Amino acid sequence: MSLTPEQRGNVTLITGVIGADTHIVGNRILSMALEKEGFKVVALGALTPAEDFVKAAIETAADAILVSSLYGQGELDCRGFRDMCIEAGLEDITLYVGGNLVVGKQAWEDVEQRYIAMGFDRAFPPGTRTPDVVAMLDEDLKDKANGAAA
Amino acid sequence: MDGHPQPDTDGLKFSAERIPDDVFDRMREKNLARWPTGAEIDLEEAAAFHKSMPKHKQLGWVMRKADEEGRCLTQPRGGFGTLELQKELMVCLDKQGHADIVPTTTDSYTRNEQWQNAANGVEESKKAGRSMLNGYPMVNYGPKTTRQLIEAIDKPAIVLSGTAMPRLTSEVGFAAGYSGYLGSGLAYTASYTKEITIEQGIRNYQYLDRLAAKYQEMGVELHRRQPGFLTGTNIPPSIAILTCIIDALLAVGQGVKNYGLELGQTLHLVQDAAAIKMARELTQEYLQKLGHDDIFTPVTSLHWMGAWPYDDAQCEALVAYGGTLAAIGGAVSVTTKSSHEAFGIPTPEANAAGLRSTRMAIYLARHIRLDEMPEFKTECELIASEVRPVMDKVLEMGDGDVAIGTIRACEAGVMDIPWSPNNYMKSRVMPARDADGYLRIFDCGEMPMSKEVMDYHHEKLRRRAERDNVPFDHELAVASVYELSESLETLIPFPWAAE
Repeated sequence: MSLTPEQRGNVTLITGVIGADTHIVGNRILSMALEKEGFKVVALGALTPAEDFVKAAIETAADAILVSSLYGQGELDCRGFRDMCIEAGLEDITLYVGGNLVVGKQAWEDVEQRYIAMGFDRAFPPGTRTPDVVAMLDEDLKDKANGAAA
Repeated sequence: MDGHPQPDTDGLKFSAERIPDDVFDRMREKNLARWPTGAEIDLEEAAAFHKSMPKHKQLGWVMRKADEEGRCLTQPRGGFGTLELQKELMVCLDKQGHADIVPTTTDSYTRNEQWQNAANGVEESKKAGRSMLNGYPMVNYGPKTTRQLIEAIDKPAIVLSGTAMPRLTSEVGFAAGYSGYLGSGLAYTASYTKEITIEQGIRNYQYLDRLAAKYQEMGVELHRRQPGFLTGTNIPPSIAILTCIIDALLAVGQGVKNYGLELGQTLHLVQDAAAIKMARELTQEYLQKLGHDDIFTPVTSLHWMGAWPYDDAQCEALVAYGGTLAAIGGAVSVTTKSSHEAFGIPTPEANAAGLRSTRMAIYLARHIRLDEMPEFKTECELIASEVRPVMDKVLEMGDGDVAIGTIRACEAGVMDIPWSPNNYMKSRVMPARDADGYLRIFDCGEMPMSKEVMDYHHEKLRRRAERDNVPFDHELAVASVYELSESLETLIPFPWAAE
């Protein structure tokens, strides 16, 4: 079931493009769309080091981090991301990753498994549109949205 | 790391002036000391190696020859994380792909001067048995080892390194025997970086261009090239061409003679042909205005740089159509993509297939020109009427110095590009596709476009909004970003079945 914009207003999301990756357009469109749907969005933009995602999540008490990677090197950049969150005290934070997540055309099931094994809650394939992301966020963050509202 | 808040000035006042020899020598010494392979570089030896290569492996000569003969050369992109994988790739592109120009794309750590990360990526790639890097870490391997790549092919080679920090990579590339180098101070800094100032990016490319001019002084004409495709997302021709002119003026200031201009395809046949013609004409107009009448400025057309469809067959149409657009427009070369584009980096075989499809399309279209077509002439005039007021303002803002004018114009949004990740660009200008398939300007931000020009763009875009029954607002621009990546069912359905 989808959340209301008011419920979504209790949810803070961090977005950004990880590593040495400059592909900003899709990420900017996603951030704009999530904001329009009611979420609080902290957009870090392109070329964002992993540590900066975590730092921003601590500072804003974020509920989820949405990592984009389009240039193929995400596998190297995202390694240890979940551990870094845990070390920073963000045990319960929801982690999404999406984009062109590996070098070259590989079977999506393999790629997804690799990222789930890295500790991401969900991985999204190339071409994912924003309504699909919103639906997943509504589902995964409903407790946080309601908990904070109560 | 990305981010040099304080420009590294090398004791030089910022201007479009040529870097003095003694200062440049000191800059080089400092630069080459930043990574161990820098010590392998010897300019005299490198120049002698370039001269020892046959002419057909020297891109400066090959671009001039292709232009004389009215040819449209093909060049893909391509880079893998180890020497062995890179060599296989380049040989495949040369032999199986019939590439006229063979590329080496550097990985993104190298582009951001994170050489330690790149070194780690090489090890990880060797361990995994597949490339974990999105390109070849040229600085890590160094010029001596990298020269094996040049020796493995029988075509000229170009370095592709989307970065605002090309100083050491260009030293290594030229010393290894690459005769072409893509990149420029305004275009790449505005489209590939977040925290680097436009001034710092221009300074870095002034270094690269001064280095290329050094080779020229030693009798080696390298091909420098400007990436006018920018952020790759619906760039209207006039905006690309403005960066072509600015970057060309900056390069020529350092002594470069052979300078290519790149344009991403809009995918409208008439608009692309007009853009190719006007890029060269308007660049020459401003070069000559500033006293440079011996600069060679061929145009390269680039296969669609926006989002690609997820279906191989749809991609193949874009690839072949891209060859057609380049050939009809009279581009001297075309930079190709492949059926794997939506998923990232292609296999060597898919990359080679993209080259062959493009090559066949060029052959089919080679005799067609649009010069006398009224619609073509209208577009040419429109482009000129958009470019000249902005370019004149840039020069005016710098009191005649194009480097200073560019910084001031970017700060003010007078010079602007869409979708820039760079903090120092306004990025207010917003393009969208009109009802006839042309890229138009929905919002020119602070760019000094005339009312007449903007009325024309708005009228065209209103017609699109009416046809698609959507509001005339920024959503037009966002919808245009994804249009070409949609499925065939969405783009061109069979609408009668449901009735």
